Amino acid sequence: MDLAEAFRNYEDKIVEQWVDYTLSSYKSSTFFKKGPDKFSNPVGGNTREALGRLFKLLTKNADPKEFVEPLDQIMRIRSIQEFSASEAVAPIHAVKHITREILAKDSERKQFIADLYDFEFAVDMAVLAAFDLYMQCREQLYKVRVKEIKTGTVILTDSKCPSNLLNKDKGDPVQIQV
Amino acid sequence: MALAKLEQLSKSVVQGPSLATGAVPTKDWMDTPVIFKEGNFAYPAKKEKVEYLDSQEGLSFPNARIWSPDEDDWKLPEDWQETILKGLKERLDKFRSLKIFMDCCVRCGACADKCHFFLGTGDPKNMPVLRAELLRSVYRNDFTLAGKLFGKMAGGREMTVGVLKEWFMYSYQCTECRRCSVFCPYGIDTAEVTMMIRELLHTVGIGINWILEPASNSNRTGNHMGLQPHTFKDNVDFLAEDVENLTGVKINHSFNRKGAEVLFITPSADVFAEPGLYTAMGYLALFEQIGLDYTWSTYASEGGNFGLFTNNELMKKLNAKMYAEAKRLGVKYIIGGECGHMWRVVHQYMDTMNGPADFLEVPRSPITGTVFDNARSTKMIHISEFTADLIRHGKIKLDPSRNKNVRATYHDSCNPARAMGLLDEPRYILDHVVPEWFEMPENTIREQTFCCGSGTGLNTDEIMELRMRAGLPRANAVKHVIDKHDVNMLSCVCAIDRATLSSLMGYWNPGCDVCGVSELVGNALVMDNEKRAMGYDAEGNESELPDGFRTMV
Repeated sequence: MDLAEAFRNYEDKIVEQWVDYTLSSYKSSTFFKKGPDKFSNPVGGNTREALGRLFKLLTKNADPKEFVEPLDQIMRIRSIQEFSASEAVAPIHAVKHITREILAKDSERKQFIADLYDFEFAVDMAVLAAFDLYMQCREQLYKVRVKEIKTGTVILTDSKCPSNLLNKDKGDPVQIQV
Repeated sequence: MALAKLEQLSKSVVQGPSLATGAVPTKDWMDTPVIFKEGNFAYPAKKEKVEYLDSQEGLSFPNARIWSPDEDDWKLPEDWQETILKGLKERLDKFRSLKIFMDCCVRCGACADKCHFFLGTGDPKNMPVLRAELLRSVYRNDFTLAGKLFGKMAGGREMTVGVLKEWFMYSYQCTECRRCSVFCPYGIDTAEVTMMIRELLHTVGIGINWILEPASNSNRTGNHMGLQPHTFKDNVDFLAEDVENLTGVKINHSFNRKGAEVLFITPSADVFAEPGLYTAMGYLALFEQIGLDYTWSTYASEGGNFGLFTNNELMKKLNAKMYAEAKRLGVKYIIGGECGHMWRVVHQYMDTMNGPADFLEVPRSPITGTVFDNARSTKMIHISEFTADLIRHGKIKLDPSRNKNVRATYHDSCNPARAMGLLDEPRYILDHVVPEWFEMPENTIREQTFCCGSGTGLNTDEIMELRMRAGLPRANAVKHVIDKHDVNMLSCVCAIDRATLSSLMGYWNPGCDVCGVSELVGNALVMDNEKRAMGYDAEGNESELPDGFRTMV
């Protein structure tokens, strides 16, 4: 019996609690926790899928670069919701504490808590990556907004295009000879 | 020990509301006030736009002023409460549907998790049942015996400034897409509840600029952008020139031509903004190839009707322009372009507002002879119906390989799908114009389609985050087909979609473009005497129009 076995044994339970903790950050989280599939419940479904994938990577000494894909799945959502930066990222940390708690309750496996250093370091790396993703998503959001302003109707309605210049008296229709 | 740390973790991060809709609910929803902050509300209408609309015959837009939702004082008229309650009474008497919707909801919750705003925000007041309850609670309090006697115990509450602010917050976090109504066992149209709330808000001077400015522009010059006839004409001319440069076929189009068989009306965004421009080029190419006797109008130069997002009087007035123009020009019927809410107005409200259009003829395709009985009353048919019929009768030659770089999926635009049942025609067209296309998951398409997240005049940039949240369910389904089938093009039949989905993809699924179905038709269309231009594809290889109408030559 080793830590890897302990992770395998408790993977479902840890991920379940992790998902639960993460989704509890929403005001009305019951449906997000229970909603049937990823398409009718995008927040819950993606959170579940992403954390499940991330946990596997965290426990197998994966290259931190591999964390980015599942983290993106979850951070892309949390970055545009009503969270502060710390609130958006905080749930990623939670898996450390959940894992410790679950192992501590198992008298046969609590000895492995001392071996969690690598795992917890991997979680730290994931948290840092999550911050990067949070910022990237925010920047992307603003780029989308700027692009919309630059290419949108504003150019036609609020810029000095000839048609707009003619538009002096907004109250009166312009008389056009047809 | 570990859980104690976890608890600390929860507490150490910044607590409480951030950008959006308010506080963590520790109280009953009725006692949870809304908090307006930059980013969670669309900007209020400009004073001069409200004044202009108010000056128009048959319209009432009182209390024009400079104000902002994030200030405590909304500068309401003194008798605002009386105005709202009187307005509600009038509407309950006038619209039987509203009275029924107020009375018959049993709060079963079938709609609760069907709203894209709820799914993207997790805010319980975005559950359609609760959004409707915002109005229903006032209705109960003042218009039902139980409410008059028992007040809050009977689910009633007094109309206060707090309630009014809540109405504003949540009636503008609803795109009137009607997905919730599909699931309601009583058929309650929650979109119509939102419409009524918005109408009532306008009676005391509460409205947003992104809706009222296009609406006033539309009334004034005929289109949302406020562009004048010559500009509209110039832009269509430019597009016709572009089609000629790309295909070698000269486009013979006309404006305001009396005696044309068909009047063609499309959203002005198709004429002025990418990627709608390419869709408009598709219309021009198709009509040229089949030799349709049609005209554009610079008077009815807008298919969109922002009156639908405002009040029924303005909706009626804007809709009337299309029919007034059809009458003036003496056309037989109208073909409408790829617009969303125009079709809801035409299909569901036009008949009782301005119809029946008995001075027009039942649409009959001059090419196939098909009579469109479905449009017997409104005399207006959708471009997709018209095109699908041409394909069905083999009247146009299409080469799907001309769209070989396109791996499409199809987004059912809410209004054509749910308000007029246009589900199969665009799919039939896609079958014939692209080599392959892929459906999104079943519970996200057809009647159950998810909104783009920015309809009903919410496609304004100051609420970009809110739009991204609301568009999550749609974007999430698109991502699925991107991952599974390498889809690179999201096609649709709505101009607002073409604008809003472009931004939505820009955030959620970069690299996925957006197009109208008619653009793909134009690309695939084999035209008589064509001489197609050469261009370079992404790999730098020269070939005939590698990117269809988007090819730079």
